[in-house]
Amino acid sequence: MANKTLQTLRAAGFLPPDRGTRLLRFGDLLRISFREVLRKRRRYIGVMASIALGTAGFITIVTMGRDLKANFNNDLDLLGGATIIAAHFDPQMYDRQEWFRNQTVAAIETIPGVRDVTKSRLRSGATTTYQEKVYGFNLSGVDNNYWSLFSFSPQHGRLFNATDIAEGRKVAVLGQDLAKTIFGSPEAAIGQILNMDNNLYQVVGIIGGVRAADKSLMAFLPITTAQSRIPNISEVSSLYIRCNTWDDVASVAAALPEVIKANQTDKGLRVQVGWEPLKQVQRMFWWVSLFIYASIGATLVLGGFGIWNIMMAAVSARTREIGLKKAMGAEDSDILWQFLFEALTVTFTSAFLGVMMGRVGIEYMSRMLGSSPPEGLFMLCLAAGLAFAAVLGIGAGLYPSIRASRMQVVDAMRYE
Amino acid sequence: MNNVKKDNELVIDIQHLTKDYISGTEKISVLKDINLEVRRGEMMAIMGPSGSGKSTLLFILGIFQPPSGGVYNVAGIDVLKLSRDAQAIFRREKMGFVFQSCDLLENSTVYENLELPLIYTGVKRRERPDKIMEALQRVNLEHRVRQPSNRLSGGERQRVSIARALVNEPEFILADEPTGQLDQANSERVMDYFVKITEEARVAMVIVTHDAATAARCSRRSLLSEGMLKTY
Repeated sequence: MANKTLQTLRAAGFLPPDRGTRLLRFGDLLRISFREVLRKRRRYIGVMASIALGTAGFITIVTMGRDLKANFNNDLDLLGGATIIAAHFDPQMYDRQEWFRNQTVAAIETIPGVRDVTKSRLRSGATTTYQEKVYGFNLSGVDNNYWSLFSFSPQHGRLFNATDIAEGRKVAVLGQDLAKTIFGSPEAAIGQILNMDNNLYQVVGIIGGVRAADKSLMAFLPITTAQSRIPNISEVSSLYIRCNTWDDVASVAAALPEVIKANQTDKGLRVQVGWEPLKQVQRMFWWVSLFIYASIGATLVLGGFGIWNIMMAAVSARTREIGLKKAMGAEDSDILWQFLFEALTVTFTSAFLGVMMGRVGIEYMSRMLGSSPPEGLFMLCLAAGLAFAAVLGIGAGLYPSIRASRMQVVDAMRYE
Repeated sequence: MNNVKKDNELVIDIQHLTKDYISGTEKISVLKDINLEVRRGEMMAIMGPSGSGKSTLLFILGIFQPPSGGVYNVAGIDVLKLSRDAQAIFRREKMGFVFQSCDLLENSTVYENLELPLIYTGVKRRERPDKIMEALQRVNLEHRVRQPSNRLSGGERQRVSIARALVNEPEFILADEPTGQLDQANSERVMDYFVKITEEARVAMVIVTHDAATAARCSRRSLLSEGMLKTY
């Protein structure tokens, strides 16, 4: 109806013909809104900082979430070993003690979610003589995954590496208490020679780490060395499997019996998972995640309320300006778009700053964690951040903009 | 005094216009049976004491608020029947306003103040500087084009306000106490501009004032008293 009236007025020459410049006006309104925000930037600094920080936090946490979780998982594992699955053959149930074949270990390594698999051989009651004294201990032949799987680190010297295993070198790593008992102190043990079953082994390191106390009375040899030189040492009847994160534990534990059965007998197989520590870790991480995401959400919502509040105040403070613009011929939609563009300018500028800060955070975090940021996920987060800025801008700016646009000229002009 | 050509086109035509306000159970009639004609090239002063309804009449002329009754035609069109958006388009295409308080956009330059009506009218960006400079030349302020509005004197602000009213080349101009905040010298200068504009651009102008000296410069004068308009 309104358009028809306008067309009639234009056709009658009462109004000039439509210049078809709505898009130009749109562009001008966008420019004016941007200029307005720029000139009154001090008013917006607080909410912009809030939205930028929220966006940066969101992008950093989501993009680096997997790496962070793995790292967090690693640290928590030092305490509880929640992602380590133990598989062994029960010696009591059958006449013949079963053991894990090489092809079985190789197949287990390919299960999705498995990070490391380590195998060990054990000899109980091993002895050594030093300065005419005999010392008894448990001896374990291990591969080089053993250390990382249980998060062991050298307290002194070094641990076995791939070369020691491949070449079957005659080197030994001792538990702290065993080294102290035989050589007087852990430091004194480094470089000493240990005599076992007429073979001499050089002590190259003392085991350390949060969980080293459990192994303080043990001695370790490369698994290849132990297999060829230690009589009566067991076959590989125990395996330890470490999963990437605790989310992988259930699926790996479920897949294990099938994979083993596909490669060898599973008679007497026992799979042990620390379900209780796992649940506790998951619960703890859930709360931490909830706290982080709630903080990010609260920051963004506060930013949104801040914009809403500022825009409402701006509509009141600029009532005369609105009246003046309407008196100059601004349509309701011109006023609506101007205020909405101002809200969107604030949210998009904040989101853009947030994305840049997030990128810096990602780079810093990936350096700390020694990983490379997943670019695809970052781009997805960037798109989500910008989409959220649009939703926030429209959500917070729409009502004040509608209020401004519906203002009566006479009320606005008489506003003091 | 202006030489008004009697055969000039009738721009503003108001018949039996009334405006009532309701205060509780009481009806207050601010405007009673107002009849008014203003032609192109004519400059009309509406005088009256404070509270006589001068500004209300001006706001009705600007279609800022509707009257309670009567007819308001501009060049033969009943503008009160136009839609809200059509009225806005009508305002930007046909009218210019000069306000009592020299309302300029704060934190904006003179150029930006004059650009706004051109934006709403849809004038192309490259055509705007010439139009703005032309309007500023009429009030001798072209040298202040890049000046922030808050650094202008009272007289300069009023001249910018006049230039802004002129920039879209309106057919009629409404001015509410245009000299109310100016000293005598500046008042005379502003009235000189109005006389010049009315004669040169052949616009119709309605000035609301309580200043006799300002009214004396107009071609016609009316007194609004007790809601009635009397020409003298």
